[in-house]
Amino acid sequence: MAEISFPLPDLGEGLIEATVLEWLVAEGDQIERNTPLVEVETTKSAVELPSPQAGKVVKTFGEPGDTINVGDPLIIFEVPDDTAGIVGTVPTEEAPKRRVKLSLNLDED
Amino acid sequence: MSEITTISMQKALNLALADSLRADPKVLILGEDVGTLGGVFRITDGLQAEFGSQRVFDTPLAESGILGMSVGLALAGYHPIPEVQFDGFAYPAVNQIISQIGRMNYRSRGTMPMPITLRMPSFGGLRAPEMHTESLEAMLAHVPGLKVVSPADPQQAYHLLKLAASMPDPVMFLEPKPRYWQKAEVDVTNPGNLQGARIAREGKHVSLIAYGAMVARCLQVAELAAEDGIEVEVVDLRWLKPIDTATVAASVAKTRRAVVVHEAPLTAGLGGEIASRITEACFDTLKAPVERVTGFDVPYPSGDLEDEYVPNVDRILFGIQRVLTYKRLGA
Repeated sequence: MAEISFPLPDLGEGLIEATVLEWLVAEGDQIERNTPLVEVETTKSAVELPSPQAGKVVKTFGEPGDTINVGDPLIIFEVPDDTAGIVGTVPTEEAPKRRVKLSLNLDED
Repeated sequence: MSEITTISMQKALNLALADSLRADPKVLILGEDVGTLGGVFRITDGLQAEFGSQRVFDTPLAESGILGMSVGLALAGYHPIPEVQFDGFAYPAVNQIISQIGRMNYRSRGTMPMPITLRMPSFGGLRAPEMHTESLEAMLAHVPGLKVVSPADPQQAYHLLKLAASMPDPVMFLEPKPRYWQKAEVDVTNPGNLQGARIAREGKHVSLIAYGAMVARCLQVAELAAEDGIEVEVVDLRWLKPIDTATVAASVAKTRRAVVVHEAPLTAGLGGEIASRITEACFDTLKAPVERVTGFDVPYPSGDLEDEYVPNVDRILFGIQRVLTYKRLGA
């Protein structure tokens, strides 16, 4: 397993910090990509941050009321080695579903 | 004595790189995050630890620099294996690839070969953001002096990468991203014939010609077509430059129908080149014009839109149906 740290991104243009309002996930949670992670407030607005990836939450940084600087760690995920660092989603091998059926009069072939 | 192991393409490529580093002290690996991190797709995982940071090293985030440095290393007698982290990041290095790597051997009358194996995670399938998904093969295949290859499964990946890393020519090695994780048997001691195309599945009614990630999809289509009584032959092109016209033509001479499948846009894509070669070789016996099932003439879409862009089984089946039911005028 590998750990991936996700730092607080710049949530506006040139914002330097955000205040944690409420954590929506807890350490130990297994979460999917786009799961809401945390609600934070900036000088512009309160926003909910979606998770950039799937993984197990190892550690969250900051309690409600704490201020976190842009670029400082926000959350650490644990992911399987083979998906660490991946951009996008790992494709699953599903049986293909089809709508088209072929027909050929093989006598004419 | 064969030694068969079941591994992913990721692992197969990793083993091939380790073998190449071991076999030739002049082999070097460089790129963004290939060292400490082991690559975003883990292809170079553990290589820096085993071979040291003189032979496997991280570069600044500058593709023109990665490829420019590779040109210098090749001139100095090394065999660099640079990685461009995603195909879409190769554009800043186009000058190095075309103006230097592609023509140095020609320019120097063969005294300055460019033994560079450029690895590029290529094509779609990950629903990744923009610039992380492209299909550059037609652009690269158009450049004189470059060889272009794309493996379809772990066996091909392992042996083709080892072969490329031992060749005196620059090889653009396009790794099909969506195939990195699927495991399959690799016979590490038996490469088989690595020249030209290979027949991935035999059939007699129609030839599907594909490469990279589309080979697996065409094999799925062949399974579905078999349920309908249609026997599909799947040709894995492997080498996109030079193209193995003989193997493709032999397949189409047998089936008399051909459908070319690729992810890249239709216009000026490799499908047109392949269709032209098939027509030249098999014009008299073809039962229908060569069909192309491809991406659309739009930028490679990001995210879920990809599913609408990449040829799916239905679009490929439609292509097959069109060549099966084609009627000549006056026939």
